[in-house]
Amino acid sequence: MLANVAPSVFNGLILGAFYAFVAIGLSLIMNLTATINLAHGSFLTLAGYLAFTLVSKGTSFWFALILAPLLTVVVGVLVERTLIVPLYKRDPMFSLLLTFGLALIAEEVYRLIWGPNGVPFSAPGVLGGGISLGFMQFPTLRLFIALVLAVAMALLALFLWCTKFGLRLRAAVQDTEMIAAMGTNTQLLYMVNFALGMALAGLAGVLASGLLGLSPTMGNSLLMPAFVVVIIGGMGSLFGSIVGGLLVGLAISITTLFIPAANEIIMYILMAVVLLIRPRGLFGTEGLFG
Amino acid sequence: MSRQTQGYIAAIAAIALLAIFPVKFGSFSLLSLLHLDVSILSEMLLFAIAAMSVNLLLGYTGQMSFGNAAYFGLGAYGAGLSIHYLNVHFIAATLIGTAAAILGALIIGPFLLRRRGIYFSLLTLAFGQVFYFIAYRANQFTGGEDGMSFPRPYVGFAGWHTNLHEATFYYLMLIVFVAVLTAFWLIVRSPFGRTLQAIRQNELRVRYLGLDTNKFIYVALVVSAAMAGLAGALYGLLIMFAAPLMLDWHQSGDFVMIMILGGAGTIWGPVVGSLIYVIGKDIISTLTQTWQIYIGALFVICVLAFPRGLLGTLLHAIARRDVGAPIVEDTMPHTAWETGTPTGAAAVAVEQKEL
Repeated sequence: MLANVAPSVFNGLILGAFYAFVAIGLSLIMNLTATINLAHGSFLTLAGYLAFTLVSKGTSFWFALILAPLLTVVVGVLVERTLIVPLYKRDPMFSLLLTFGLALIAEEVYRLIWGPNGVPFSAPGVLGGGISLGFMQFPTLRLFIALVLAVAMALLALFLWCTKFGLRLRAAVQDTEMIAAMGTNTQLLYMVNFALGMALAGLAGVLASGLLGLSPTMGNSLLMPAFVVVIIGGMGSLFGSIVGGLLVGLAISITTLFIPAANEIIMYILMAVVLLIRPRGLFGTEGLFG
Repeated sequence: MSRQTQGYIAAIAAIALLAIFPVKFGSFSLLSLLHLDVSILSEMLLFAIAAMSVNLLLGYTGQMSFGNAAYFGLGAYGAGLSIHYLNVHFIAATLIGTAAAILGALIIGPFLLRRRGIYFSLLTLAFGQVFYFIAYRANQFTGGEDGMSFPRPYVGFAGWHTNLHEATFYYLMLIVFVAVLTAFWLIVRSPFGRTLQAIRQNELRVRYLGLDTNKFIYVALVVSAAMAGLAGALYGLLIMFAAPLMLDWHQSGDFVMIMILGGAGTIWGPVVGSLIYVIGKDIISTLTQTWQIYIGALFVICVLAFPRGLLGTLLHAIARRDVGAPIVEDTMPHTAWETGTPTGAAAVAVEQKEL
């Protein structure tokens, strides 16, 4: 029994960490600018493809792991500054539709450049093997992914809570006008906030492509669970997104083990239950990460 | 001639134009001029109805629904499954499809009503996907990813019946479309419709007036689902096919876009939008494989350059001329983004404090 369930639990937690990662990025952007970024998955996929191209051009995987997310941040910020900024003052519907249009364009562009099917992209040999945990073998790649995600989340938390800029960011979510009146450049906040979301998406994209397979729709397959995670965890809660993500990941992997046909429905059932009991989400509070 | 009379005349002229589109004068018809198939026109009308269903929620009630494809797809599957397993006729299949959509909205409605603003959109987006996965997963029953094809039954009524060819189908769709359009027009002018518009402008105030806004939005949601379901059932009967992609959020996005293209909060906006979208897509997709890029670009341009939509911009200009600048907001159907509702973080805060 344990030998069956334990790998599922681990895999579920790692899948959940991805969901949490994407959800935090979405949630950051949503909370500050009320923008539901439907192109988030596209940026994630972009990072994967950039890393793939970098590696196939001869750079090392480790370098690509840093550079690809950075390039994604650059592309993301350019898009935000040119296309999304004019919509911040308008109804959120418009940014939702704009990013939806961007996602459509991106998917087709990836297909044109990198082909409609997946491309093989795997981590270097060091991460190829497995590590014995006593009762089970566990792939090193997955442990590495878990480690990177955990470190990145810790860094994000440090940034938000232990720097002045992070403080301003959290304050801006509660009252943008007030923080502007007190002399903070809110446009800079918006930009950095979006860049943070992109960095998270980029990192997740490079790591996910070794695990989920790199294809034009990879990002979008993570997007919908991430929305569900945001709803379950509570909008605006970093901790909620992490807990929600792990919960959803676990639920999916365990359901896959016992009732495979229901593994996609399960997160929606979870979401419905949470909404009934606690509409604001498990850890949802007023304002960001409060 | 008052603006209202002009409006009626324009509406009747538009319907007459739709009616003569497929008529052949010798070897010439308006359709052949544009190299279009008559089924494209049927599709256009049905997508217009689906976009009108979004319009009722977003344009009039101010609730951003990004999940109306769920009802559309439920309609298509309702019709398809009932034909496949119960061998029902055309009218029964349409009604069953519509009923399936209504049932879907009745079930998920209470969950959706828990939140407002962008969270409402998130919930509609997420709950819509439930039906996608059900259709996708129940493959012994629905054909799974490949979808299901089914025959188009004849239309029977009290002993009389006829098979529907593409042209007769189109005229049937036109009748349905005019009926839905009229019903929609009556609804938004009724006290109920006025209340919905009041909710869009200021929900809190409507609540202070003693009205249970949740109930109103719930009813609007069910009416919207019924419209989308009807459109979906008939669309299924048009293409004789139902597939999970009809339930997908991409499809919902298309409906929202059609509505925005024409003009949110206007009666004819979705029709204009559907005309541009369906026919434009048909033409582009015959010209190039990468049509998705152009559709995406259309979205981006429309959102940035014509947020009022084509018809919305036109009506706005007319209203402006009548009144003289500065425009009095009440001469135009209000849209949430014009009335100074708080956006961004403020909206989030308001939404959270209310709950």
